[in-house]
Amino acid sequence: MTATAIPTTPTWAGATPHVVVIGAGIAGLIASLRLRAAGARVTQITKGLGGIQLGQGSIDILGYTPDRVSAPLEAVAAFAAAHPAHPYSRIGVDAVRTGVEYLQQVAGPDLLVGDAEHNVNLPTAVGAIRPTALVPPTMVAGELHDGLKLVIIGIAQLKDFHPMLVAQNLSRTTLPDGGHVTARAVMTDFEPRPNEFDATGLTFARALDDPKTRRTFAEGIKALVNEGETVGLPAVLGGEDHKAAFAEICQIIGAPVFEIPSLPPCVPGMRLNEALVKAVKDARVEFILGTKVTGFTAADGHLVSVTASTAGHKREIAADAFLLAAGGFESGALKLDSHGHPLDTVLGLPVKLPDGVDEEHLVTDKYWGVAQPLFKVGVDVDESMKVVDGGSPVYDNVYAAGGVIAGATRWQEKSGEGIALGSAVKAADAILASLPVVAATGLAASSPLAASAERN
Amino acid sequence: MGVIEETFAGHEVARASLDNCVKCTICETVCPVAKANPLFTGPKYNGPQAERFRDGASVDHSLQWCDFCGICTLNCPQGVKIAELNEQAATRMKEQNGFPLRDRIIPETNLEGMFLSPVAPVANWALGLRPLRVVIEKVIKIHRDAPMPTAHTETLAKWLKHRTKTDIKPTKGPVVFFQGCAGGYFETETSKKSIEVLEHLGYEVFVPKQSCCGLAKQSNGLFKGATKDILNLCDNLLKFGNELPVVSSSGSCIGMVKHEAHEVIGVDDPRLANVSVRSRDFCEFLMEEYRAGRLDASEFKEIDLTVPYHQPCQVKSQGMGFPAVQLMELIPGVKVIESNEPCCGIAGTYGLKAERYDTAQKIGKGVFEHMQNYNEGVGVCDTETCRWQIAKSSGVKIVHPVWLLHHALGLSDNLLK
Amino acid sequence: MRTMDADVVVIGGGATGAGVVRDVAMRGFSAVLLDKADLGQGTTGRYHGLLHSGGRYVVSDPESATECAEENEIVTRIHADAVEKTGGLFVVTPDDPMEFSDQWTEGATKSKVPWTEISTAEALRREPRLNPGIKRAFAVHDGTVDGWQMVWGAAHSAEDHGAKVLTYTAVTEIIREGDQVTAVIAHDLKNDEQVTITTRFVINTAGPWAGRIADLVGCHDVEVVPGRGIMIAMNHRLVNTVVNRCIYPADGDILVPVHTVSIIGTTDVKADDPQRLAIPRNEVQQMFDSGEALIPGFREARAVHAWAGARPLFKDKRVAATDTRHMSRGMSILDHGTRDGVQGIVSIIGGKLTTYRLMAKNVVDVMCDQLGESRPCTTADEAVPGSADGHTYVITHRLRENEKARATHLEVKPKATDVAVAAKAGRTPSHAAIDDQIICECELMSRKMLTDLLAEQPDATLDDLRRQLRLGMGPCQGGFCSMRATGVALEDGGIDIERATGLLRLFLKNRWIGLWPILYGEQVRQTALDDWIFQGTFDVEHLPVPESEVEL
Repeated sequence: MTATAIPTTPTWAGATPHVVVIGAGIAGLIASLRLRAAGARVTQITKGLGGIQLGQGSIDILGYTPDRVSAPLEAVAAFAAAHPAHPYSRIGVDAVRTGVEYLQQVAGPDLLVGDAEHNVNLPTAVGAIRPTALVPPTMVAGELHDGLKLVIIGIAQLKDFHPMLVAQNLSRTTLPDGGHVTARAVMTDFEPRPNEFDATGLTFARALDDPKTRRTFAEGIKALVNEGETVGLPAVLGGEDHKAAFAEICQIIGAPVFEIPSLPPCVPGMRLNEALVKAVKDARVEFILGTKVTGFTAADGHLVSVTASTAGHKREIAADAFLLAAGGFESGALKLDSHGHPLDTVLGLPVKLPDGVDEEHLVTDKYWGVAQPLFKVGVDVDESMKVVDGGSPVYDNVYAAGGVIAGATRWQEKSGEGIALGSAVKAADAILASLPVVAATGLAASSPLAASAERN
Repeated sequence: MGVIEETFAGHEVARASLDNCVKCTICETVCPVAKANPLFTGPKYNGPQAERFRDGASVDHSLQWCDFCGICTLNCPQGVKIAELNEQAATRMKEQNGFPLRDRIIPETNLEGMFLSPVAPVANWALGLRPLRVVIEKVIKIHRDAPMPTAHTETLAKWLKHRTKTDIKPTKGPVVFFQGCAGGYFETETSKKSIEVLEHLGYEVFVPKQSCCGLAKQSNGLFKGATKDILNLCDNLLKFGNELPVVSSSGSCIGMVKHEAHEVIGVDDPRLANVSVRSRDFCEFLMEEYRAGRLDASEFKEIDLTVPYHQPCQVKSQGMGFPAVQLMELIPGVKVIESNEPCCGIAGTYGLKAERYDTAQKIGKGVFEHMQNYNEGVGVCDTETCRWQIAKSSGVKIVHPVWLLHHALGLSDNLLK
Repeated sequence: MRTMDADVVVIGGGATGAGVVRDVAMRGFSAVLLDKADLGQGTTGRYHGLLHSGGRYVVSDPESATECAEENEIVTRIHADAVEKTGGLFVVTPDDPMEFSDQWTEGATKSKVPWTEISTAEALRREPRLNPGIKRAFAVHDGTVDGWQMVWGAAHSAEDHGAKVLTYTAVTEIIREGDQVTAVIAHDLKNDEQVTITTRFVINTAGPWAGRIADLVGCHDVEVVPGRGIMIAMNHRLVNTVVNRCIYPADGDILVPVHTVSIIGTTDVKADDPQRLAIPRNEVQQMFDSGEALIPGFREARAVHAWAGARPLFKDKRVAATDTRHMSRGMSILDHGTRDGVQGIVSIIGGKLTTYRLMAKNVVDVMCDQLGESRPCTTADEAVPGSADGHTYVITHRLRENEKARATHLEVKPKATDVAVAAKAGRTPSHAAIDDQIICECELMSRKMLTDLLAEQPDATLDDLRRQLRLGMGPCQGGFCSMRATGVALEDGGIDIERATGLLRLFLKNRWIGLWPILYGEQVRQTALDDWIFQGTFDVEHLPVPESEVEL
């Protein structure tokens, strides 16, 4: 992986400009790497593991506007223009492209393939057809097209994946470009460890890391596949050793094979998360896990330090710039209190409500058909991702990236990773530009290898 | 209410925190025990999930497999005190069903040190005898292959009394050194090196007469005894006033002071609160000093060495990041490779127990391999029992980070002695 | 078109109806129970779960208090598996006047409600989250009861005594020959079929809908006022004992630990339509404030679900006030023979869940009088199926059962091969272990619990299953279990993909009804993750949209 090339020489203190990144989802991790690669000292504080493994394991840019999108980057520009309150209107297409490329560079082709120009349509665990942009290599064969013959195979010991639900819904759905697939369902047995009957996907993935087990498994699956069928399996085809596991499983089965993500925790997401966290640690970002930001000090429109709390301890961490990348309501970075007021729980930044919606109407009584206005609540940012209130910066050194930014319905639009990556890159670059010492090193911030040049 | 740790203590913190659980299952993906042994249902199940089905009583015996390493709590993105819930429930179960004799013997670390040290050569010889270990396993169910500490005839206290006092004049404020039971009796070298390094760097080091922190009692569910111990320790440490930093090279004991006593046992006492906020892990303390411009790293001489390092779970739970990695890498030429593994399996005393030995060895497998793959003669780890476990199972000599620092400051000619 | 014949037709499958059908069946009458929806879907399922000690009424309604005290003991015996003996506390909070507590002790003694005064320290030891400022505390025999389990227990008992129970069967007509009721015509909603039941006698136990049933037979002006009350379930048991404020009965004065949650209730506002009960924002806020008085920090605790129930209050013309709390909560039995000149029908309105058995006995006694039969009531003498061993419910029940199941499967000697069992063609139903998979993790509901009930009620919706199994009633509110349950229903429940997908849509929609009014704090995180799963990962909005939504 390219990111491991970042040197390990420490810059733990001294004159090096210091940036605090709060949160360790895709936005926080990518921003940290980019900042670190440019020579900044980075402290990343996160309450827990980030959200990458809670999603579907692929990289969304834009899936619905609400019409189904086939060329996501192209659609972002028009979508941003039509929705001035959407984060994409501030992030812009270029930053999204840069962010996606940066991620691809860090992750490498063993973890992500595809590009930001094209969406692929993949089946979901309930049999819906979902657009997404970059995908793990293990999902490529799941791209749906007219005439595709599928066998969806479930494992009785894995309760999170029900092949009949997938196969029968796929079979009765017209594909986005017309046409149909045929899909049949098979349920099979596979104990990931002796007697185990109720385990999470990861237990299966780990079992398949073992060459002997995965061969037996793949032989068993092979027997269930008919000529000409493409095989859909739950997304558990290998953990740490996923590359070899997937290759061998495919080779033994002798037919195209793909993974379908289901309920969290998502194994493909976990693979990506582990790689990014390792890259961040190897790059000697000070990675502080299990720690919550519980306070801050500010003076004259400038954030001076944040208070990090764990284990009965409070620690003041001063920095030149701060990036809030702690996610939205799903992580608790944003909160609706019991009186119905939305707030940012991390830095107490002002939050922005969707246009024309007051606090009393953030949640509606309709479950279907409309996204809850609540989930559009977030902090407002300018084009440099600096947090603003009514257009003016709240602090001159506080930026935001990812799900905490107001204005998107990430899950409905399928825009979460695109927003995260674009805003991370934009914020990191703006921070670097604001820090004269880093700028003086003259390093290109875009390459994770840049810092390597500095050290060697 | 805000920060629940400040509103409640012990079980009430943990129970209130279960409201944060969104069932995302991240805890189960990082749990080293569930990975090693399917009999442990998993931290989500036994933690926030099962807690809703308890009104005090615990009936989920699968809890006994939890090693309370705290990796679940550490990784939980929602702030659920998962390990704490598990430990409290396991304790209630033991209270209902009785404590095994072994679980009452092992935690008497201070007594063990006091008895073993005077007869160290005999004790070490005896603990190395297989037939005797088999008998011990049969009688009190401590596994015959479990790591045992090496006793020293010279305890830290003796050394302090007899050593030639350093002639370096203190240039920096005094600190209180807390050595822990193991640091006093078994891992005396680490304590000595820590004191020498601190003194060399200009700190005046006070070493109060001290007692056990109660960690081993706590992890064996003996909360009453542990409470007594920790408060007794606080009293001892408070003899040097209520402002000095308390520095310890016993990574787990300092964790007890910082975290477990309040959040697991529920000790809600101003003495603990006072000592707790001043307590620092050795590396954490020096890195804070370094950042504040009070530690000059230019004095460190080069050591051309790549060291594999494992941060123990009990150090991880202190939420400090990786101060040991940072400190060691301030030494020119040192490259640290972090294990990226959750737990070595010993988890205090878990891995000693006969019925858990195999699980513990599986838990630690990744750590052992890491040490074997990357060592150039030595590996590093911050806590005593973890070092014993990793050394025994990997065959690699494992030292505290201070050993490297001691050498880099020219205080020892041989890094490994 | 089906026809049936029964001595007695009972209309309304709440607690009263289930009690009545059990009572008549046990007295040897052939009987049919009809409900337009599921059993216990009305008021019975929409309350706070309190099995009264009587303590609540010792000042306001001493007769009711005595009845409650007596019936509490009987219900605990005959419905052991639905009752948890939590015990109760009456506490005087810092906001409450001390004088009332003296009236309370006097009333409790007079009405024979067992009580003991305990020190406030002891109360706080028992319930550490209680307001430390409480001034006085009394211990009583309050318990909690699962209304659905109780109703199904009574229904199954009635079936054992020969009665028929028809759910989702709405009464459309009551036939009279002259002034005598002779038949009931109903519509089987799930099978879209008419059912005609010829009968000697109808007992109207339709609760808030009783006036509409009476209308069908020409007995008008049976004015039943729905008194709406909201309840909020908090995510875990903030208390393990029922906690009452020692004040004259008022809004939000009780916190009840039921199963894994604790329920705060309730309000009391006149509603227009029992079918559409709002959960207004201001009442939710009122509950939070009341919760704070009992449990400091209540607003920071997590609410998981809210609901509104309609107390059926018979409007006595003598009381003009519109405040429903002043209407009769005791039961009213309307003899339509003397009142309206229609023979063969009585209505019973009002009452409490705790005294449901007594109410049933009383109304069946009236019927027997009218029919000239002398058959004694035996409902207090026999436990319902599942309760014969007398073991009352304990909160640890499912945890213990699941531990046993897991140990059984996992601790068998590992197979000779150390490699995992290979994938084999086809589903292997020999795996008893698969049955013990936990489908709903929050409430520890196993796959087998789901498939067994589906086998019994193949046309059940996920909500029907929920009421009996607690599927989706925990913190995640269906986020993780509803897809699993849908998958299991499709695999083992004999339904097609259109219905399966429709059931999933319906379940999510129905969960939302009780979720959105209390969406704040931690439940927002959960809802965000659930939304991420369903919209984000599953893209459930882009499944084929059904021509018409599944509703039953």
